[in-house]
Amino acid sequence: MENKLKKYEKIEFLGEGQFATVYKARDVDTDNIVAVKKIKLGSRQEAQDGINRTALREIKLLQELHHDNIIGLLDVFGHMSNVSLVFDFMDTDLEVIIKDNSIILTTANIKSYILQTLQGLEYLHLNWVLHRDLKPNNLLVNSNGVLKVGDFGLAKLYGSPNRVNTHQVVTRWYRAPELLYGAKQYSTCIDMWAVGCILAELLLRLPIFPGESDLDQLTKIFGVFGNPTEETWPGLKSLSDYIEFKPFTPIPLKNIFTAAGDDLLDLIEALLVMNPIKRKNCTACLQMPFFSNKPAPTVGDKLPLPHSLRTMRDLDKPSLKRKLLDTAEGGTLSKRLFF
Amino acid sequence: MAGNFWQSSHYQQWMLDKQDLIRERQHDLAILPEDEYQKIFIFFSSVIQTLGEQLKLRQQVIATATVYFKRFYARNSLKCIDPLLLAPTCIFLASKVEEFGVISNTRLITTCQTVIKNKFGYAYTQEFPYRTNHILECEFYLLENLDCCLIVYQPYRPLLQLVQDIGHEEQLLTLAWRIVNDSLRTDLCLLYPPYQIAIGCLQIACVILQKDHKAWFAELNVDIEKIQEIARYIINLFELWKTYDEKKEIQGLLAKMPKPKPAPQR
Repeated sequence: MENKLKKYEKIEFLGEGQFATVYKARDVDTDNIVAVKKIKLGSRQEAQDGINRTALREIKLLQELHHDNIIGLLDVFGHMSNVSLVFDFMDTDLEVIIKDNSIILTTANIKSYILQTLQGLEYLHLNWVLHRDLKPNNLLVNSNGVLKVGDFGLAKLYGSPNRVNTHQVVTRWYRAPELLYGAKQYSTCIDMWAVGCILAELLLRLPIFPGESDLDQLTKIFGVFGNPTEETWPGLKSLSDYIEFKPFTPIPLKNIFTAAGDDLLDLIEALLVMNPIKRKNCTACLQMPFFSNKPAPTVGDKLPLPHSLRTMRDLDKPSLKRKLLDTAEGGTLSKRLFF
Repeated sequence: MAGNFWQSSHYQQWMLDKQDLIRERQHDLAILPEDEYQKIFIFFSSVIQTLGEQLKLRQQVIATATVYFKRFYARNSLKCIDPLLLAPTCIFLASKVEEFGVISNTRLITTCQTVIKNKFGYAYTQEFPYRTNHILECEFYLLENLDCCLIVYQPYRPLLQLVQDIGHEEQLLTLAWRIVNDSLRTDLCLLYPPYQIAIGCLQIACVILQKDHKAWFAELNVDIEKIQEIARYIINLFELWKTYDEKKEIQGLLAKMPKPKPAPQR
């Protein structure tokens, strides 16, 4: 254990969340760059509960999951209830990319991000894991353009049909309507809704349903799709938190996503279906024409990076660029000499 | 993973073989002969089972805790951690992993105290010596020694499917289920995949109930030799129970057991 504490050399502070502080670090043995997530100890009361449950969920699931588009758990170290998790280091995330105005997100770029998201999520769902907290901030991207689904602190095994789950999951803006109506039995559909919201956000560069409360969240959703009815969504009125809203007129998606092609609109429509059982699953989405139509998804290292990282990527491989510059300068110089 | 046993850490990292176990245990086996070593593990499996029942845990949680316990000592000597401390720690960790909800540490300690006093008084004359901080300290050590492999597959689910396939027989299921519980007193969960254990236990249940399902067993696509090995483990356990009086012997065995050097501070 002593050895392990020395195994990782802190490079810089990356961020702080509700449960943890994240550092960029170097694995002294392998020279690999990693992300170390140090779980906060919490209150004295929580400390009595031993190893943090959120951390345990991440450990137990990620220890079993291995996929290119799922964050890799490399190591766990600590002492008593003070636990740190070591992950693949990821340079940025979709939230940063979406907010960076200097980045242009082409259809090919968006296709690449959503393709990778769906591939990772398909693997999760096939392995009976619900993520339950998909949002741009949890879709991590490295400088090779590989996207990995991260943060499994709310993730859960599903499949017991009678299991009652909490509906207080998923960050509100990405929360599916059935959760907002208090459904306690839900499935992979809740992750699919979140992917739909993320896809919309990649296009709009703003959250599509930025609700300010749970009720306002439903208002924002109905403002686009109109009110659901017992016909479009059987069983709707028996959900525990069901209430009637004033009538909204639906807006055609084409008017919201003016730049999106028909194949892309079809995908959004397949994901953002209010009735959860009508929502398409990952496998069905991946077979939609959008992914086989042109343009092809952008190849990893051609994907845009945020401004701050772009300069770093250039600094990382100076050799080729320097060489080109040198020859260019050399060229002009020699010409001058000749004249 | 939950969907695929063959890609799980349970299958890939925690299917051990008999030779591994003998090698890892050689230190303890130098002090305790194999049958005495087994008797100690039977005793602590009962402690975990009783604690779990007292805490009203589902059998799934109890079984997972027992497997954690066995995995820990498959890699460590009994003198590493007092099994009386590791047993409740396994329950504590398993109840969180199985999303049963956190058992408050105070409740866990209180339950340990009553259970040891009322049910295992024949083994321990003194009261349960450990406190919350011991459990918390032990928890991470356990996690580390499990190589962070927390998801454990159990024979119960395949058993339900198999019995359903035979044609639902309540009596058969009940007995086979109890034999699976008994199998936790052996090394089976370290050596064989859970579906095979389920079949082995089912076979014994059929023999006991004199149910002839030979044709059904013949059609199973399994290595029947493995099933016989599993059945052998269970029968050996039943044989041992015939002549073994735990109440008389256990104090002597616990006294002989290798122990951690510094005794816990009260």
